[in-house]
Amino acid sequence: MSEIDLDVVKPPEPPKTRVPLRIEEVLAGAAIGILGLITFANVVVRYLTNFSFAFTEEFSIILMVIMALLGASSAVAKSGHIRIAYFVDLLRPRLRRLALICGTSAVTLSFLLLAALGVRLTWDEYRFEVTSPGMGLPQWTYTIWLPLLSLAIMGRAIGVTIRLWREGRR
Amino acid sequence: MHPAVLLFICFVILLFGGVPIAAALGLAGTVAIYYGDLGIMAVPTNVYAGIAKYPLLAIPMFILAGAVFDKSGVALRLVRFAMSVVGQGRGSLAAITIIVAMIIGGISGSGPACTAAVGGVMLAAMTRAGYPRPFSASVAAAAGSTDILIPPSVAFVIYSVLVPSATVPALFAAGLVPGVLAGLALMVPAVWMSVRNNWGGLREDEPKPEVWQSFKEAFWALMAPVIILGGMRTGLFTPTEAAVMAVFYGLFVGLVIYKSLTWRGICEMLVESAETSAVILIVVGLASVFAWASSTMGIIDPVAKTIVAIGGGQYAVLAMLIFFLIIIGMFLDGVSTFLILLPILIPIAQSYQWDLVWFGVILTMKIAIGQFSPPMAVNLMVSCRMTGVTMESTVPYVIWLIVSMFISLALVIAFPGLALWVPRTFGFM
Repeated sequence: MSEIDLDVVKPPEPPKTRVPLRIEEVLAGAAIGILGLITFANVVVRYLTNFSFAFTEEFSIILMVIMALLGASSAVAKSGHIRIAYFVDLLRPRLRRLALICGTSAVTLSFLLLAALGVRLTWDEYRFEVTSPGMGLPQWTYTIWLPLLSLAIMGRAIGVTIRLWREGRR
Repeated sequence: MHPAVLLFICFVILLFGGVPIAAALGLAGTVAIYYGDLGIMAVPTNVYAGIAKYPLLAIPMFILAGAVFDKSGVALRLVRFAMSVVGQGRGSLAAITIIVAMIIGGISGSGPACTAAVGGVMLAAMTRAGYPRPFSASVAAAAGSTDILIPPSVAFVIYSVLVPSATVPALFAAGLVPGVLAGLALMVPAVWMSVRNNWGGLREDEPKPEVWQSFKEAFWALMAPVIILGGMRTGLFTPTEAAVMAVFYGLFVGLVIYKSLTWRGICEMLVESAETSAVILIVVGLASVFAWASSTMGIIDPVAKTIVAIGGGQYAVLAMLIFFLIIIGMFLDGVSTFLILLPILIPIAQSYQWDLVWFGVILTMKIAIGQFSPPMAVNLMVSCRMTGVTMESTVPYVIWLIVSMFISLALVIAFPGLALWVPRTFGFM
């Protein structure tokens, strides 16, 4: 009936990964769901009572950071990050693949650096017993997610590089 | 070599080499900080602090709201209502596409998402009615671009985080009139081309949906923008809270009224929105390394001063900025453009004492035009993929839409009141 095949709108099949992408997807989805619930509960409680639990702001913020890093990790595997593909797509297939491998290696490198420096930051905060401004919890329990999940993003980037490499040898 | 030169060269090479923008910004920033010996620990600190900002929470929430309304079948009901009002003559479907995109723009916050939602409903219908596919793709892409002007808009939230003196409610209110103006500007060439070429007159025999019935069905969708904007106007909600209220309102409409949402659908929606927001937030986080590096090296002020010095009057500088932004907008999305260029653009705006809310609106309008200007038009990519046409084939049509929207941009530049009247009247600034 319809002349247009609307199925092309559906995103391409997710790549086959050894570590299931479902892990990041489920966790990131749960994080945004909890964020919505906390904020909604905040509004409701504020209008029904005089009680404010604005201190949960701190909790929302760390959840958002975790969600961003988790989502960034699965987006690496799905090549969903914002980038200028125009010039690379003009290249011949072999050169294009090479450019993609270099590009993904740049992602690997930047998150390796971020993980390494993030460990130092977390260690400093642990050593100097920095506490969070809102709830007074040890700050390192927040910061540690940055190096941890940077490693996950790096792992995904390495996975993409391996897949690109194998594709070329076939 | 000055570290600033290194920063710039690294970034440009990585960017045009197809490296994700987030990684390009982070890596160039890190290299420059290391080389310039500015204190390497600024890298993780800035990434963390760049994302860990409460106002940014509005972004995932508005994206989630958009997804809820998309999945609950709101677009389809809006189209039926618009059809019952506008009728089905030549060019009417083109006009309806733009109207529906503008209403959905009042719910979701991102251009490509809006294009996909409207295109999913309209593109097949337009082809059946006899519109050429490249034309339909052009109209859907251009219509989707009004989304970042009509509140809520992710681009405005980012602008406000970078320019705190321009508050989110003020920007949202200021985007309203320019957004409607842009929509009207798109309708003129779209309908004119249809009438001239006799497109869309094929299906005049199709029964027209009944006005009252379709209004009742679309009522819940039409109320959403009222709740979002009204809630912020009365000071009932902050932007983030308004977004969350929109999410729960959408869930209520989808689960209770339309009964179109399933548990599975909700789960998919959460994952999709989390990923879309993550892609934006990670650029925000790593861009702050880049921004910190360039501001610590003190290169922002000299560059801004040089531009002002060679400018030759405020309108010449503005014309120059718009020209540059159009080139950049062809290749880069709006959020990244703001993150990379605002540190330079704001000092320029301040030296001419331009109103920063107005400045935000015209920059966003420019970016909206970029979203459907080939070759790197994000919206046009979506609608071309949906219709299966190449981007080259849309050029003869899309060019008129670009020109027309450009005229509306010129109007907002010439008459700042078009943007500033609403926020001033309603006390947002």
